[in-house]
Amino acid sequence: MASKIVSFTLNGRETEVIVKPLTTLQKLLREQLGLTATKAGCKQGGCGSCTVLVDGEPMMSCLLPVEDVEGQEVTTLEGLTQNGELHAIQETFYEKFAVQCGFCTPGMVMVAKALLDRNPRPGRAEIVEALTGNYCRCTGYEPIIQAVEEAARRTNGHGV
Amino acid sequence: MTQEALKVVGQSVLRRDGMGHVTGKTIYVDDINFPDMLHLKMVRSPVPHAKIKGLDFSEAEKVPGFVRALTYQDVPKNVYTILCLIGVGPDEEPVLAEDKVLYKGEQIAAIVAETEEAAMEAVSKVRLDLEELPAVLDVEDALRPDAPILKDWGTNYFVYEGHHCRRVRFGDVEKAFEEADNIVEGRYQTSPIEHAPTETTGCVAKPEADGRVTVYTNTQALFFTLDNTALILQVPFQKLHFVGGTVGGGFGGKVDVIVEPIATLAAMKTGRPVKYKFTREEEMRVSSSRGAWRMYYKDGVMKDGRIIARKVTSYADAGAYNRHTPYAVTKHAANVAGPYRIPNVWIDGYCVYTNRQPGSAMRGFGVTPASFAIEVQMDKIAEAVGMDPWAVRFINAYRDGDIKPHQKVVEDATLIEVIQAAAELVGHELPEEFKKMKSSDREEV
Amino acid sequence: MTTQAYYLPQSVDEAISLLAEHGPATLVMAGGTIAMPLINEGISLPEKVVGLRQAGLNYVSRSNGTVEIGATTTLTRMLTQEEIPLLGQAAYHVGGWAIRNMGTVGGNLFAPPPAGDFAVALLALDAQVVLVGEDGQRVLPLAEFYTGFMTTALTPGELVTELRVPVPKGVTVYLKYGRRQANTPAIVSLAAHLVLDGEKVTHARLALNGVGAHPLRATRAEGVLVGSTLDETAITEAAAAAAEECEPFTDPIASEWYRRKMVNVYVRRALAQVAG
Repeated sequence: MASKIVSFTLNGRETEVIVKPLTTLQKLLREQLGLTATKAGCKQGGCGSCTVLVDGEPMMSCLLPVEDVEGQEVTTLEGLTQNGELHAIQETFYEKFAVQCGFCTPGMVMVAKALLDRNPRPGRAEIVEALTGNYCRCTGYEPIIQAVEEAARRTNGHGV
Repeated sequence: MTQEALKVVGQSVLRRDGMGHVTGKTIYVDDINFPDMLHLKMVRSPVPHAKIKGLDFSEAEKVPGFVRALTYQDVPKNVYTILCLIGVGPDEEPVLAEDKVLYKGEQIAAIVAETEEAAMEAVSKVRLDLEELPAVLDVEDALRPDAPILKDWGTNYFVYEGHHCRRVRFGDVEKAFEEADNIVEGRYQTSPIEHAPTETTGCVAKPEADGRVTVYTNTQALFFTLDNTALILQVPFQKLHFVGGTVGGGFGGKVDVIVEPIATLAAMKTGRPVKYKFTREEEMRVSSSRGAWRMYYKDGVMKDGRIIARKVTSYADAGAYNRHTPYAVTKHAANVAGPYRIPNVWIDGYCVYTNRQPGSAMRGFGVTPASFAIEVQMDKIAEAVGMDPWAVRFINAYRDGDIKPHQKVVEDATLIEVIQAAAELVGHELPEEFKKMKSSDREEV
Repeated sequence: MTTQAYYLPQSVDEAISLLAEHGPATLVMAGGTIAMPLINEGISLPEKVVGLRQAGLNYVSRSNGTVEIGATTTLTRMLTQEEIPLLGQAAYHVGGWAIRNMGTVGGNLFAPPPAGDFAVALLALDAQVVLVGEDGQRVLPLAEFYTGFMTTALTPGELVTELRVPVPKGVTVYLKYGRRQANTPAIVSLAAHLVLDGEKVTHARLALNGVGAHPLRATRAEGVLVGSTLDETAITEAAAAAAEECEPFTDPIASEWYRRKMVNVYVRRALAQVAG
C-alpha cells in the first residue's frame, strides 16, 4: 500500500505529511498531528463537529481525503487564536453560554468564522442558515445564534 | 448570610470548562490515543432473537492487523445486571452473548486489532451460525401466555419481590368508579427516543506498569461503572482507575456500563491500551434508548371536575435487558397518578422484556412519559365534564400535607404556584378563586 | 479491505483508463458525501478508489440555450450561477453549507432514496446526462438514466461527466418538505416547469423525489396540465394524479400513505404558485 506525501498549509504553516490512501483530514488532524479540537461525532457528514475551513470554505473533514487538500489552506480551531488572543467568536461563545458539553463548539465556531469573514453583518436568518449543518444536542441553538450576533457586533462589521 | 457576603449566588458565573471548549483544548475520550493502542469492534446480532449455534473466526483472523477475538468464555463473570449494586437481581445480561441473542445489535464477540479499519474488516468476516427464533416486539404481546419466554427465570417481566409488577394500592378504586359521575379512559403510547449525543459512547482502557488499569471513559456514572466492571472482571475495585471528565452529551444515555468491561478485559488480555468507541450507527441502533411506555388510564370523575379514582396499568418496554428499567418503573409507579389529590388509586406498573433495543435512562426517566399521559388525560377529563383545562388542574392540584398514593406525605408542593406563574407568562387571565389558591391551603376540597 | 490506493486522475481519459485497469470494484467518488460515510462506518471497504475532483469536471458554461455543468461541480456553485435560478433553489435544499461545498451535481444522482433532491430540478428541465466510457461518449435524457432502486444506466467503466440543462422558457417552482426545515431528507421534494401561451399551458414538467425508487416525472399529472388553463379543476386533478402515480415507500422518515398525501398537498401548492 503506497502512502503519499501531501503538502498543504495548516493554520498558516507549511506542512508536509505522509498518509495512507484515503486517510481523512479528520483522522490526520486528530491521530497523526495531535490536533484534537476538530471532533469526530458521526463520520458521516451529518453532525458538523468535524468542520474545518479549506481555503476559507467550511468542509466536513470526516469526508475529505488528505490528498484532496494538496496545496490548499486548512484552518482548524487551533488556528483561530492569533498570538494567544481569542477570536471574538470564541469570546462570545464563552460569555453567552453557547457551550455546554462543548463537543459541537469547534465546528460551530469554524462555520461562524467563515460566515463573518464573508458577511461581517449577518442577520439572524443568515446566521441560522450558515449553521444548518452543525448539530447541537445541549444548548437548543439560541445561545449560539446570539453569540454569533454579538461576535459580529464586536468586530464592528470589519470581520476578523 | 447577608447579600454582600454572597459572591456567587445571584451572579452569572461563566463555565469553568468554557475556555477549554472554545479553544478546543477540552479533552474527550476519543482525543486520547496511545502509540501502541488497539481498537475494539464488536460482532453483533443481525436479528432480534436467535440461538447461537457457532462462531467461526478463521477468515477474520487472516485480516492483517487482527490481534485477537474475545468471546463469553473470556469474561470472568459474564452475566450481570448493573443495578446489582442496589440489590436488584437476578443477573441477566451477558457482556458477550452465550447461547442466544435477545436483540438486534446485541454484542456477540469482540475483535481487537491494530487499526479501526482492520477491526471493522475482521468483524465483517466473522461467520455467525444462528438459528432465528420468533421475536416478541410488543409489550402486551410479550405478556400473552403463548409468547416466547425471554428470561431464564421463566417470565417476560421483572419480578418485584415476588410480584409481577410494581403495585400501588390506595383506597378503593372500584367502589369510587361506581360513585363517579363520569368514567374517562385513555391509552397512551410514547416512542423510544435516542439521546443522540454529539459525542458517541466510548472508552480507552490502558494497562499500567503497576498492574492497575486506567480507563478513560465518557460514562455519566463513573463509580457505578467502575464497580460493575470490577465485579464483571472479578478484580478488586482498587485495581481499576476510572478517569471521567467531559461527557460530550449524556442525557442519561451514557449510564449503562456497556463499553468499559469488555475494553478493560481486552486491555488486560493484550497488555496494550484498547479503545472501544461506538460509531454513529451503533449509538443510534445499539446504545440504550429512552424506553417506550404504554399506559392505560381509567379515571372516575365527578361533575365538578374532581378526580375521585384513578386506575393505571402501564407497560415499560425494557427491551432485551434490565439496565435501569426496573428502577424506572418503581419511580414511574410513584409518579404516574400525577401531582393531584386523588383519594383512590390503583397502579400496576410492569417492566416488560421484548426483543427490542434495551431502554434505559433519559431525562426524567420513568416520569416524563407519565407526565405526557397524565396531562393529556387531564385535558380529556376537562372535555368530558365540560370544564376549562386550567380549572381542572387547579381543582385537583395536590397540596402540602396530602397523602400521595404510595403513602408519601406531600411537602413543599408548588404545582398551584407554577400554574399561576405559567398563566401570567402566557397572558391567560385566571378567575380570582384560582389566583388566590395556595399549595399551603389545607381546607378540604 | 483497507483502501490500498486512491487515485486522483487529472483528466476524464485518465479516469476511464484507471477504471478499465482496476476493474468494476473500483469505487468512484467526487465530493465524498455519499461514499465516505459508508467507508467510515465499515459498510463499504473498497480496495481502490478513484476521486474525480481534479479530472477537469468542475465547470458551468453556456452554449446557446443550454447550460453545461461538469459532473463534479459543487452544489454551492449552483447557488451562485445565475443562468437557471431553479438549480440554485434545488441545490439550496441539499444539506448544509459544508455538504454543499463538497457534494456535486453528478454525485447527487447516486444518492440513496429518499435523498437525491437536486435531480428533480434537472428532470423538470429535461436535462440530459453525458456518459463517457472506453467506447466513447453517449448522451441520455436524465429520465432514462434512472433504471430502478439504486440502479442506473451507467455501465461498468463509464462515468457521468456532464449535465446539459436547457434554460427554461416558462415559470419554475421548487418545493421541499422534510421533517426539519433544512438539512433533512425529503418527505417529498418537487420541481415544476410550466410554459403558458396566454392562458393555456403548452408545456408541463413535474418531477418528484422521496416518493419512488428514484427521482421521477409525474407524467400523468403533466398530461392533465398540458392544454389546461391551470384553473382550480386542473390543479386539483393534476395533484391527485401525481399522488396516485407516484410509488412512495415507508421508511423511518415518513410512511407511504403520508408521503402520498403530501404529494397532493405540495403539487397543489406548486401549481398554485405558478398560477400566481
